[in-house]
Amino acid sequence: MSLLKTDHLSKTFGAIHAVDSVSFQIEAGEIYGLLGPNGAGKTTTISMICGLLKPDAGEVIVAGGPFWSDPQKAKSIMGIVPQELAIYEELTGRENLEFWGRVAGLKSGEAKTRTTELLEALSLTDRAKDAVKNYSGGMKRRINLGCALLHRPKLLLLDEPTVGIDPQARLNILEFIRGLRASGTAILYTTHYLEEAEKLCDRIGIIDHGRLLAEGTLSQLQERLGGDRVFVLEADFGNASVEAWDGFLQRFRVIQKAEGQLVVAAIGVRDPAECLRELLNLPIRVENVTLKRPSLNDVFLQLTGRSLRE
Amino acid sequence: MLRVLIAKDLRRAWRNPLPWLINIIVPLMMTALVSLAFGGKSSGGPMGRITFAIVDEDKSRLGDFLKGAANQGESGKFLNPVFLEREEALRQINSDKLSAVIIIPEHFMLNYLTGRQQVSLELIKNPAQSIHPAVLEELLGAVVISLNAVSRNFQSEFPDWLDVFEGKEDFHRISVLVERAGKKLEAANNYLYPPLISYEKEVRAKESTTGKGASDSGFNLFAFILPGMAGMFLLFLASNAMTDLHRELRFRTLERYHTLQERLFPFVAGKVVFTFVVLLICGGIMFGGGTIMFGIHWRNPFATVALIFGYAGFAAGLMSLLVAIMPDERRASALNTMAGMMLGIVGGCAFPIEGMPAFLREHVTPLLPSFWFVSTVRKLQFNPETPWMSPALKMAALSVILIALAALLFGRQFKKGLRT
Repeated sequence: MSLLKTDHLSKTFGAIHAVDSVSFQIEAGEIYGLLGPNGAGKTTTISMICGLLKPDAGEVIVAGGPFWSDPQKAKSIMGIVPQELAIYEELTGRENLEFWGRVAGLKSGEAKTRTTELLEALSLTDRAKDAVKNYSGGMKRRINLGCALLHRPKLLLLDEPTVGIDPQARLNILEFIRGLRASGTAILYTTHYLEEAEKLCDRIGIIDHGRLLAEGTLSQLQERLGGDRVFVLEADFGNASVEAWDGFLQRFRVIQKAEGQLVVAAIGVRDPAECLRELLNLPIRVENVTLKRPSLNDVFLQLTGRSLRE
Repeated sequence: MLRVLIAKDLRRAWRNPLPWLINIIVPLMMTALVSLAFGGKSSGGPMGRITFAIVDEDKSRLGDFLKGAANQGESGKFLNPVFLEREEALRQINSDKLSAVIIIPEHFMLNYLTGRQQVSLELIKNPAQSIHPAVLEELLGAVVISLNAVSRNFQSEFPDWLDVFEGKEDFHRISVLVERAGKKLEAANNYLYPPLISYEKEVRAKESTTGKGASDSGFNLFAFILPGMAGMFLLFLASNAMTDLHRELRFRTLERYHTLQERLFPFVAGKVVFTFVVLLICGGIMFGGGTIMFGIHWRNPFATVALIFGYAGFAAGLMSLLVAIMPDERRASALNTMAGMMLGIVGGCAFPIEGMPAFLREHVTPLLPSFWFVSTVRKLQFNPETPWMSPALKMAALSVILIALAALLFGRQFKKGLRT
């Protein structure tokens, strides 16, 4: 049974379709990455899942039951880590954790015990009595994450939890999240960092302009490009058109065409050397051809026609 | 949950006490400021006796008459004139021992009775004694009006009076002058002593209920002013204290709370309770300060405290609703200020409601909790038996309704995406 299932979730703000018929599901012990640029609809999707926003259409099913049939029950098995820090800077790390534990329904003693465990797990024991305002950015992020974990949620929603922190702090957080997965927590992880999604997530959904364009494991998404390699052709294309090249579109799938660059993938299982020869024989002055493994950015490029980094 | 939320806010206030200290210090300063503006301590009655000097450089009978009038009868309760030479009077006013110096210039009587020259009394005020010189100026104005009135009505007889004052006594002439003056005054009696029914009624109420002595029985102006000032000020303080709810929104902590708890009522109620406590402390400072600084004797302290409780709850609840209505902090601040001013002014906190347009006075003011609070506290000063339970309970009930409405609005706005 999936811990979270969204079924054609939609939300409109005026004329803007923030989320348009998004469906996916997450199993226990799985990290599902929702990858997309800023403004793609990731935060709106999370807000609908955790009940901050009511969907215009579609349904959120948490642990087999519709969210809105018993919102408090659904909330009790979720932990949400918002993109922006939602903690009290005047309070210490310990006080913040204990407070959010009590809000999540823990008794005073339970909250204290769990706080001690989490401070240890997040490597913050030494600074537990310091006011959060004196913490570094990475430490604040860890407390922000910890505040969602007091009640041991089965489903964790992480909204870009590593934004604005240094690489080392990011690695620490990612490692901690892997530990949560190992303990059976289902995790929805939104990000616009390709590397994070590639390294961390078991399955990835690519979202843009509110629509889920594709989903699957990394290799499944790479397969969409026709294999495990793509060719990057640098040349002076002039007025040349790929449609005019005899049989080219039957043998290659165009992922991106930009000024001076063409990214293509071979259709079907073909010898790379043969593909290279064909590309070099095109009726244009080729300056360089490179062969590489397709990245999520290439998938995103193929799906949207633009780079995720743009 | 409420206890957890309030404990959290108390901890935050403890760690960052400045905003809350300002909230508490401001009413203290306001009370002190008003106290200073109205003459400081009042050991000799609600306002104290006004000490001033009369310098008589005329040494005439008319001067003697004015000096005598200053410390006799009713005047003696409020005025404390001392009779000094100019140099000594100026020395004492510079030493802040006098509120003012009134100088009767040389040839004052002669010029007044003969009309040869324009006459004037000289007033030197001591601004350090705030309202006291202003009171004396008003009194002197009344004296001048009286002298002018006498001059207009008795000018034809002034030469005879001058002879009398200069010691050329002719008892027959004096008796004729006095008789004529008596007849003129008799004709003017109705103008001089018009019936003041409402005033008489107020005095009787006080006499019948205290019987403790002069300091308790006199009408204390500050007992009238202070509730109005407190009524208005507590609204502004509530608005100020409730900005913390905006802060919870800005820092997304309310949103985070809502991801864990479906019901927002405890969160809003917690914030209202916290604001309520701040208001109670501030109210205590203002009303307690009033007792110390102005010598106000609250004639039904239990009822007054109950009304402060009710009003503080209402003010905190109202401001939580206004935070829920207005999505951004800057606009909310403007709205809160306007709402506070309107409630204060129309509710009779700033001005007596008798001076307001009839429509407001009769149809709007009676519906306002600010009016319930201020008018009941004021009435209690005249009559401690004034019913107070109903307004106090109405305000308490209203505060619960306002909190529920605020929580409902927050919830709806979250669902619609207006708060995310």
